Amino acid sequence: MDLAYQILVKPFADMVSAPDFLMQVLWEGLVSGVLYALIALGFVLIFKSSRVFNFAQGIMVVFAALSLVGLHEHGVPAWLAVLLTLGIMLVLAVAVERVVLRPLVNQPDIILFMATIGITLFLVGFGELIFGGENKRMITEQLGIPTGSFEFEPFGGLLSIQQADLTAVVGAVVLVAVLILFLNRTRMGRAIRALGDDHQAAMSVGISLSTIWVVVWFIAGIIALATGIVWGARAGVSFALEVIAYKALPVLMLGGLESVPGAIIGGVAIGLLEKLFEIYWGQPLLGGNTETWFAYVLALIVLLFRPQGIFGEKIIERV
Amino acid sequence: MNALTRKCLLPALLAMGTMLTLPALAEDSVNVTNLSYRTGPFAATGTPVMNGQRDYMLMINARDGGVNGVKIDYQECETGYNTEKGVECYEKTKGQSIVTQPWSTGITLQVLPKSNIDKVPILAPGYGFSPMADGKTFQWAFNPPTSYWDGASMILQDISKGDLASLKGKKIVLLHLDAPYGKEPIPLIQAYADKYGFTFQAIPVGVKEMQNQSAQWLQIRREKPDYVLMWGWGAMNTGALTEAVKTKFPMDHFVGIWWSGSDADLKAVGEAGKGYRSISWSYPESNSKVMQDIKKYVVDAGQSMLPKDEFDYVFYQRGVVISMFTVEAMKAAQEHFNTKVVTAEQLRWGLENLKLDDAHLAEIGMTGMVPPFSTSCADHSGHAGGWMLQWDGTKFVKSSDLLKPETEMYAELSKTEAAKYAEANKPWPINEDCKM
Repeated sequence: MDLAYQILVKPFADMVSAPDFLMQVLWEGLVSGVLYALIALGFVLIFKSSRVFNFAQGIMVVFAALSLVGLHEHGVPAWLAVLLTLGIMLVLAVAVERVVLRPLVNQPDIILFMATIGITLFLVGFGELIFGGENKRMITEQLGIPTGSFEFEPFGGLLSIQQADLTAVVGAVVLVAVLILFLNRTRMGRAIRALGDDHQAAMSVGISLSTIWVVVWFIAGIIALATGIVWGARAGVSFALEVIAYKALPVLMLGGLESVPGAIIGGVAIGLLEKLFEIYWGQPLLGGNTETWFAYVLALIVLLFRPQGIFGEKIIERV
Repeated sequence: MNALTRKCLLPALLAMGTMLTLPALAEDSVNVTNLSYRTGPFAATGTPVMNGQRDYMLMINARDGGVNGVKIDYQECETGYNTEKGVECYEKTKGQSIVTQPWSTGITLQVLPKSNIDKVPILAPGYGFSPMADGKTFQWAFNPPTSYWDGASMILQDISKGDLASLKGKKIVLLHLDAPYGKEPIPLIQAYADKYGFTFQAIPVGVKEMQNQSAQWLQIRREKPDYVLMWGWGAMNTGALTEAVKTKFPMDHFVGIWWSGSDADLKAVGEAGKGYRSISWSYPESNSKVMQDIKKYVVDAGQSMLPKDEFDYVFYQRGVVISMFTVEAMKAAQEHFNTKVVTAEQLRWGLENLKLDDAHLAEIGMTGMVPPFSTSCADHSGHAGGWMLQWDGTKFVKSSDLLKPETEMYAELSKTEAAKYAEANKPWPINEDCKM
């Protein structure tokens, strides 16, 4: 009976008794969710266009953030360093297409997936060689990202909104909006979607596979840089940033591997739900740290009913 | 003649050359392999320590021609702080390295049961399973100069200003990495809480949540603890410091263990981290003789992997101190066994007979870098104590005199845990010759 009260009544009573705290939890969940969505988008874009699950997305985040900080350490002004880092991500995209993907055209998906593991290992070693393994400080102030906080007192309590988090959310929303516009309104965007639908058909109407792959990997590089700046501002820039890519996996399972809206809605849903569960059920009843598994359990439940994810396309295979 | 040369003389010469050179090489060097991690999510905190360890060994080779003429063949096996890879590294190197340095409590716990069979000493300075200090039970494991339980004891003494009874009614939170390392102080702090009447709560941080600890800090905001202690590593430290700043938690009430006191982690928050404290069994003394020798023979000679500006860092110089333990144990073993090239078994004796008093630390140019201590067959830690370091916005400074752990508080607990371990892993040999 007591357990039923702890599960079914107390969490809601806590929410009502401290609404300012609930608002803080929801805000933190929203911030996390938007950031998860951002990481997931990098995976989705590459998968949509090439059917490759890009295992290297996490290390691309590290590589982009380290390049930005490293260039600035060498005296390059912050915004010029951003442009140069984008140049580095473009070179990386071209190199991946030329050296890794092009020779593997028509190979099974698993071979391409293994190739992205190879890219990951290469970038880990290469990044370590150039930048070292030490933790570096993200150049938040130099990029003009505000670092203060807005404080409100709803219901006589406290709601603190970090300006950096707000900037991250706004930045992510703008980036996603631009991406959606690019995919739906431009010739290149339509080509990417066409390639995602049917490689052979797209190529037969003159869409260049190699150009699209370069563009998509470059966009993934831009997303990696944005993700690196946001997450790097929270906990420094180091190889640990690679781990956050794992947080995108349940988002992809939930939203579907090839759905841009799925990545966004899945990310926000997981961010909010895992935070609410952790604070009101996980910490009081299970000792906390439920965020490490909650999203996966949620994704597994979704997979039981919709194996392609909520927004994924239903796979029909004729035998 | 040509055929004769090819078939007989050349192989004979090669064989003679091998016979002449191999023993000479073997006699002149010992292999010391570190199970290091310069990659992966914990590289940021692992790398500076590894740099310090490596540079001390290189300096000993360059300045002294090795330890009494025996060169140290310093190697690293990359684990990425991954327990499975760490065990692989241990298995690969146990035949050649005279000591294993697992560099993770998880790896230490995995290789601990093997140590009695493989007869390779485990050197886990300031980490690992705290009851490893009981040398009667853990004959092959060493955690000098002080254990995690010592660290917890010193932190509690410091925050209570020496009066533990004053903690009654207070609330203390332990924010810890959800790994064997992070969980290590829990039984002891709980024992202190039971004895002195404060509320204790452990809040775990998963590896995937290190950079996003908003949930943990929301919990801290809700619980309103008087103090937050941290057993963090890698990106968890910076993540926690960033959240503490965000939550406006008073920094001087936030205290970390020695692995949560890295300059690089604090530089990520800079001035906002001012007041944060970390207990430490080492202190950087850049003008000490040993550090100046490292500068001269290794850093200025272009042999170091150290990034510029990190020479003064706590973690780098702690790595130097750690390698000193191995070198001093080698020297002790050389003298005791009247030999030059020590074996793993002989090094075990050396680690058990470290005598690092003030005079000896002065002699090796390390005054003030580590508290004086000694080990024995019964005490594999030394319980040297440590200093509280405080972040002043740009660097760590000493904020206390030398603190000593209250070992009598957990002597029984240590004995019980050691006995439990031995029972769970029986047959487990106990050194009955060793008198406590």
